[in-house]
Amino acid sequence: MSEIVLAGSGLVKRFGPTVALNGVDLAVGRAETVAIMGPSGSGKSTLLHCLAGIVRPDAGAVHLLGQRIDDLGERRRSALRRTRFGFVFQHGELLPELPAEENVALPLMLGGTARRAAVAAARTWFGPLGLAGMEGRRPGELSGGQAQRVAIARALATRPAVVFADEPTGALDQQTGHDTMRLLVEATRHNDASLVVVTHDPNVAAWCDRTVEVRDGRLLAPSGAA
Amino acid sequence: MRTTFELAWRLLRGGGRRGLLGSLLTMAAVAVSTGLLLFAVGGNHAFMQRADADAWRHPSAAKGAATAVEALSTDYVRGRQLTVVDLAALDAKAPVPPGMARFPKPGETWVSPALADLMRALPADQLANRFPGGKPAGTLADDALVHPDELVAVVGRSADDPAVTAARSADLADVSATPTKINSYATGNVSSVPQIYQALAAIASVLMVVPLLVFGGAAARLTVARRDRRLAALRLVGATPGQVVMITVVEAVLTALAGAVAGALLYAPAVPALARITIGGGGWFAADLWPPLPWLAGVLAAVPLLVGVSAVVGLRRVVVSPLGVARRQTPPGMKAVRLLVFVAIVVAFGLVGGSLGGLREVGLVVLLAFLALAFLGINLVGPWVVALIGRIAAGTARKPARLLAGRRLLDDPRAAWRTVAGVALTGFVAGFLSLLNPSAMSQERPADRLELVVPHARSAAVAEQVKRLAGLPATIKISETGGRERNDAVTATVPGGEAAVDKARTALTGVVPGKVATTPADADIAAGYLMADLRTGAMIVLAVSFLIAVTSAGVTGASAVLDRRQTYAMLRLAGTPLGVLDRARRQEVLIPLAVMGGGSVLTGLFFALPFAAGFGAAGAVTLLAFVVLGFAGIMGASALSRPLLRAVTADPAPRPD
Repeated sequence: MSEIVLAGSGLVKRFGPTVALNGVDLAVGRAETVAIMGPSGSGKSTLLHCLAGIVRPDAGAVHLLGQRIDDLGERRRSALRRTRFGFVFQHGELLPELPAEENVALPLMLGGTARRAAVAAARTWFGPLGLAGMEGRRPGELSGGQAQRVAIARALATRPAVVFADEPTGALDQQTGHDTMRLLVEATRHNDASLVVVTHDPNVAAWCDRTVEVRDGRLLAPSGAA
Repeated sequence: MRTTFELAWRLLRGGGRRGLLGSLLTMAAVAVSTGLLLFAVGGNHAFMQRADADAWRHPSAAKGAATAVEALSTDYVRGRQLTVVDLAALDAKAPVPPGMARFPKPGETWVSPALADLMRALPADQLANRFPGGKPAGTLADDALVHPDELVAVVGRSADDPAVTAARSADLADVSATPTKINSYATGNVSSVPQIYQALAAIASVLMVVPLLVFGGAAARLTVARRDRRLAALRLVGATPGQVVMITVVEAVLTALAGAVAGALLYAPAVPALARITIGGGGWFAADLWPPLPWLAGVLAAVPLLVGVSAVVGLRRVVVSPLGVARRQTPPGMKAVRLLVFVAIVVAFGLVGGSLGGLREVGLVVLLAFLALAFLGINLVGPWVVALIGRIAAGTARKPARLLAGRRLLDDPRAAWRTVAGVALTGFVAGFLSLLNPSAMSQERPADRLELVVPHARSAAVAEQVKRLAGLPATIKISETGGRERNDAVTATVPGGEAAVDKARTALTGVVPGKVATTPADADIAAGYLMADLRTGAMIVLAVSFLIAVTSAGVTGASAVLDRRQTYAMLRLAGTPLGVLDRARRQEVLIPLAVMGGGSVLTGLFFALPFAAGFGAAGAVTLLAFVVLGFAGIMGASALSRPLLRAVTADPAPRPD
């Protein structure tokens, strides 16, 4: 594998008596796409949250480009998520009051980019993602697939190192889900970003370079990290 | 039915932290509403009690055999009213007056505690010597008194004493009454002053209760709105719409009942403070401000009932369409006709406002109508202005927080307006009141010119007596007052301030039986009370609407956080700093508050302009207090939901999956 961008090693996470992660090792290479699969309650979302610095593991470590990130304070991890990671959620989670282009520009503005520049940068994503002409529409005026593509643009707008997607097609029909996955994978690759997708859908996983299975907080197949 | 109750109780208890938080919000809102409602009810009750306590002094002629004679007159001391009731028994069955253990014997004076204090504090030749015996024979209990600070004397007389035979002047109907044969004391509403106060109290109650009901209803509906998902789930497992409604109503009513009881418990410790509010020259008996048990029970029953009804109304949408989630689209712009209506009202008032003062009663009615229209106008133009400033804020925003705030204002200007409407409308009242300065309105009439009105035949002799008793040169103004008999006014100017005046009053007591020496300023005391009380009443209404407004802002803010918790959690998860979310939330309230609060104050000032009696210090203080309290209150209410925001975003990964 090429250079390792993101690596979790020996990750353990408990919620009360429940052991969600029980010693997981996973490494993601540059521009690599990895699917995390598993049944409900297997710990796949917890793994994503640990890797993305959303929750801190009880044991183990997470490194981004060689730098340890799981022991950073909430403020630093928050800034890291804002600048180095992108997120795509099941329901898009766009802000309903903001037009599409401002939804995409928001992470840039949060990072300190001036509004005019942020909106201009945001607009450049609409054409390649098949959203030309939708810049001024609000989420309520977009179809589910279109809203998800705006969410992809928003995730990539800050040029992140890794994009995390949690059931990105869960709310879409099969054809739209198929198109959305294709765009997600292509766009992240095109931007030299890595992609970590949590899904229980083999069709989604099939788009990725590699699939890892989580069962009872452990990886089933060897992770195959370099 | 029992199952429904059990299920509702279970859901209420097992609603988890967020469900509990929602219930607590409703409870708090209902508690504040109930407390204020009890204040309105208790206030009206207290005015009724005052009317009752006033009634017995006004004699009502005996229908059967008379057993006593009663007369009423009003004297003055140190610029305060002093009520004197003269009583003479005609036989052994003379009725015992309220607040006394027995009928007073001739030559006895029973006094209120406040009068007893004053008699001890002042030299006898300024007050005590006005009464037979010169010192109190007994103390009047609360039943006999309108308020705790009242100065009242009940003087026992023999049936042939001139004080219970001489007629009183007929043009002082409320403060004096001619000797009348009685066999019992009057009850209920007998003189006009308590009636005026009761009417004003009723108006003030309406002003306070209407927003209270609106606010309470809104709180109930907000709770229901948050439950739609769970209710839809209940319907999916086969609950009938009737069962869903029943469960929700039971839940809302239980919550509201708890809130109502909490409100009553909150009101109780507030009563001693409320009893100090001065109306009609004195404070209150705490027991009167506490509504009687049936009234209390009525409030405690009515509030949960109203919340239940509001819950049903709010629920209808959910039950009709359990899966229908409103899709956000670009909202239609606010129609500019709102602005036109508001401008039309202001212009119309500008045209006719100046001439209202000369129209007396009609003018008052027109003014009240205009005030109501102004309220409606502000309420109508509010959302339009909010949308406009939202557009401006979103258009010019450079930072994410401002952009979020502006877009949100533009998205739902009505909701944003609802948050600040209370304070903005209170601003209108504050602006209006700040220009109405009672002290500037009252005329300064001489307080050192004592006057006795006597029959023409006796005027020369009385003038001589005045000179002899009070050592004052007196002049006689021959005039024709009263209808049939010809009366003269014997006038003496007293140098040396109020102590000298009270000394002269004391010396002149009883010179002309049934007549009290008064100064022109004495006649203004009651009117002065009324002006001061109108202002006090307006301030109370202002304070209450303010409390409602701030509480409402707090509840709306908190429920907005709860409603958007998923979006907030996801934004946090994607690395949005909590500070940005919080700033956006704050600006969303503060920007419209500043614009609309300021606009309402200006409108209020404009509407008070025709009646402006000078922008006094009191007016400036009112305005300043409004501005400071308005911002502090809203900021405080908004800050209260910050921990809530932190809580809903603290754990962005709720699923252990």
